[in-house]
Amino acid sequence: MTSARKRLFSSVIVLAVVLALNFLLFRVMPGDPLTGVVDPRFSPEAKQQLAAQWGLDKPLSEQFVVYIREMLSFRFGLSMMTGAPVWDELKNRAPNTVALLLPALILSAALGVWLGVKAAQRRGSIVERLVLIGGAVSFSFPSFFVQLLLLLCFAFAWPVFPLSGTTSIPPPSGIAAFADYLWHLALPLFSLVVLSFGGWALYIRNMMVKAMGEDYVLMARARGLPRRRVVWNHAFRSILPPVLTILLLSLPGVVSGAVITETVFSLNGVGRFLLEATNSHDYPAAGAAFFLLALLTIGCNLLADLCCALADPRVRGEGTRG
Amino acid sequence: MNRIFKFCVIFLLFISAPAAFQWPASIACGEETAVASLDISKFQGPKMKDLYYVIISDTDAQLLAMSTGKLDVLSDIYRPADADRLVKSGTVDMSIAPGFHGFFITFNTREFPWDQTILRQAASQVVERRRWTRDLFSGFCEPTSGFLPQISPYYDPDAPTLPAGIDAARERLAKAGWTWNISGWLVAPDGREVPPTKILCPPSSVVATTTEIAMLMAEALMSIGIPVEAEPIDFQTMLARVDARDFDACTNAWSMSRDPDVLYSFYHSSMDVEGGYNMSGISDPELDRTLLDLRYAPDEPSARAAASRAQKILSELTPVIPIYSRYSISAIRNDWNGAFTTDRSTSDNLLTLISMTPKGGGERPIYWNIPSEIRTLNPLVSSTAYDWTVLGSVYDSLISVDPYTFEDMPWLAESWDIRPGSPGSVITFTLRPGLKWQDGRPLTVDDVEYSIRFIKENSVPRFFDTVKDVHSIETDPASGTVRITMANTSYWHLHNIGGMLVLPKHILEGVADWRTWQPTNTTHTALDGTVMTELVGSGPFVFVESRTGEYVHMTRNEHFILFKDGEGAER
Repeated sequence: MTSARKRLFSSVIVLAVVLALNFLLFRVMPGDPLTGVVDPRFSPEAKQQLAAQWGLDKPLSEQFVVYIREMLSFRFGLSMMTGAPVWDELKNRAPNTVALLLPALILSAALGVWLGVKAAQRRGSIVERLVLIGGAVSFSFPSFFVQLLLLLCFAFAWPVFPLSGTTSIPPPSGIAAFADYLWHLALPLFSLVVLSFGGWALYIRNMMVKAMGEDYVLMARARGLPRRRVVWNHAFRSILPPVLTILLLSLPGVVSGAVITETVFSLNGVGRFLLEATNSHDYPAAGAAFFLLALLTIGCNLLADLCCALADPRVRGEGTRG
Repeated sequence: MNRIFKFCVIFLLFISAPAAFQWPASIACGEETAVASLDISKFQGPKMKDLYYVIISDTDAQLLAMSTGKLDVLSDIYRPADADRLVKSGTVDMSIAPGFHGFFITFNTREFPWDQTILRQAASQVVERRRWTRDLFSGFCEPTSGFLPQISPYYDPDAPTLPAGIDAARERLAKAGWTWNISGWLVAPDGREVPPTKILCPPSSVVATTTEIAMLMAEALMSIGIPVEAEPIDFQTMLARVDARDFDACTNAWSMSRDPDVLYSFYHSSMDVEGGYNMSGISDPELDRTLLDLRYAPDEPSARAAASRAQKILSELTPVIPIYSRYSISAIRNDWNGAFTTDRSTSDNLLTLISMTPKGGGERPIYWNIPSEIRTLNPLVSSTAYDWTVLGSVYDSLISVDPYTFEDMPWLAESWDIRPGSPGSVITFTLRPGLKWQDGRPLTVDDVEYSIRFIKENSVPRFFDTVKDVHSIETDPASGTVRITMANTSYWHLHNIGGMLVLPKHILEGVADWRTWQPTNTTHTALDGTVMTELVGSGPFVFVESRTGEYVHMTRNEHFILFKDGEGAER
């Protein structure tokens, strides 16, 4: 079996385990969707009707079959919280999450990479010291604190940005609506970049310091290659595989870690929906969200392998030998 | 207005000092003073064309939005510091009223030691309600020893209370033959030592005041020799354990209603089943009989008598210890006229909504906060209070509640009658003439009949208890009357059926599956050709658009029963 097939096979196994755990974990967690119905005007009979409406009166084995069918067909069933198809709920919220978090990840990674490379190039200079201090500060502040501070400064004391949401009320129309959307995303996006570029900068700086001391970099310099080419084509390229792996594996974490940002800025995204679904024991919604996260993780993992192979001929070589 | 609010708070602190706390007959928190009852004909509206329910969940963001004019009305203010901050901003008028909230310590009376009535009575004597609520809530809630909210028309102020204090509690126990061992812990008359028990409560990160009260309660019980400690646990875990009856004691908070039949759910022995709300497991033949009398009272006087008797028995049995009731506090920006408040109702109500006009005149949208995302606007499955804030401005019921007296008030029905019949109570509603749906079609007795039948035939869980006892329905379109015969006799059928929303037959007939019905996603053509959604009611506002997590846009319903045009002629 080739390495690629092995990876694919193991991914399917992981997905099957996640599917089973997804079903079991929510059901062994304390409470159930009916426990949350704390209204004395709901008699035990009315609660039974509710259980029947949600299919909870069926045996667990039957519920499992329905669950697997819904997940594998990507229908995901109906959300117990909203009564709407889970797929529609996620589709409504995903654009906000993607519009915020993807640019945030790309911008913070780009800024962090650039600063990290500059710091590694200028060892002992004021640039390196600023990057080290800035990186540590950015890395160590709790996100909710920084975000609340930004809200207080730029949305209240000096109200240049909106307080919450992704649209003005009433919403403008046409191109103004798009501009309004960007205006609403600006502060949360800025906060995320400020909070996460530091980690990237410190990581890249450390890797680049090591790479810049390698023999092949010395060789490139001795050959008289331009400094820029030595840094980016030789040193940086050698650290590209781990950087790509981290970048791609950050994607699923970014979605699930969006809860705080979405809560502070009152953004309607997948992170908040996931949290509410879990707290409400909304089995179909939470199950679908975790299943998609698992798919995203596995997909990103495979993509990272592919990218590493493209970036590093040695990885390609290992693959064919296997 | 701010001064009036401050006065109210100081006044509440002041009156909470006497031992027998009584809510005053009237507090001038709003622009109206208390009168015997409401004259609905004095109201007309909605006056503003556009209403936006703005979804802001973060409390600090809500306060900032109120200060900057992004919100006009804010409800459910529960942190004393927030109320102070809003008062100091000088931009809002505040209103405060006692609410239907109740906080209790519930004992598991199925097992020793809390199966001992005398022990529960002694426990109730060591509770320092006034001090605890003053220290924890800065006076923003009402210490109570009642089993019903004090604003309920059925609250009995004469239910006996035991003398408070550690000495009184110890004396009660000693007289009943209880003793203390050498370590100071209680020993029952039959020689059993009181074992260590726990009070389950949510962690302080969820509700700090609840954890604090559980700890204060444990401390108070220790002072009379009962080894107790508070055990903060995850809220869902706590609910699951209480549901499984796996607890000694726990904290509970309920939002109750004006009717006392909730006592049946909480304390009748038949409700001590899976999914039932008799968490304490109290079982007493006399209490059961009284609660049955209450639940199936044929008329209002018998219901009142049974409610009073039940409260007296509960005071004696003490299955739970009532601690406090939270006030409702709301804020409305002071650049609006028309805030309507009474001594029992804060300004965030429907009458305010339809009466609001900007002080500077002209037309302006109203921005009304909803602190949580709208989950669904399908009235048949919706369950959160926030969904119902929106749905409450779309749909109407047959009768409403007088905000001064909490008595019944005409709404879609101009008159009603309930009397014993066969096999059960017979309720007759007479509709107002000329009622119309928001799409311009007439609202008739057929709609009322169809709503009840639809809900009963489909066993819609939310309204299951409301309609399950409906035996038959007869209508007379000529006189606009609906006669509903129930399978058993109960005065509360009037409130249950009368309070249920009326849905349009012409819409419901087209609903393929009520569980998945998304009325806001389906278009519908009004009689005048206007395209709207299937969320068609008869209430003051028509649904226009909803953006998930952002806002719900509504517009004025010009067919609403209280809407009159500029000339004052009723439509």
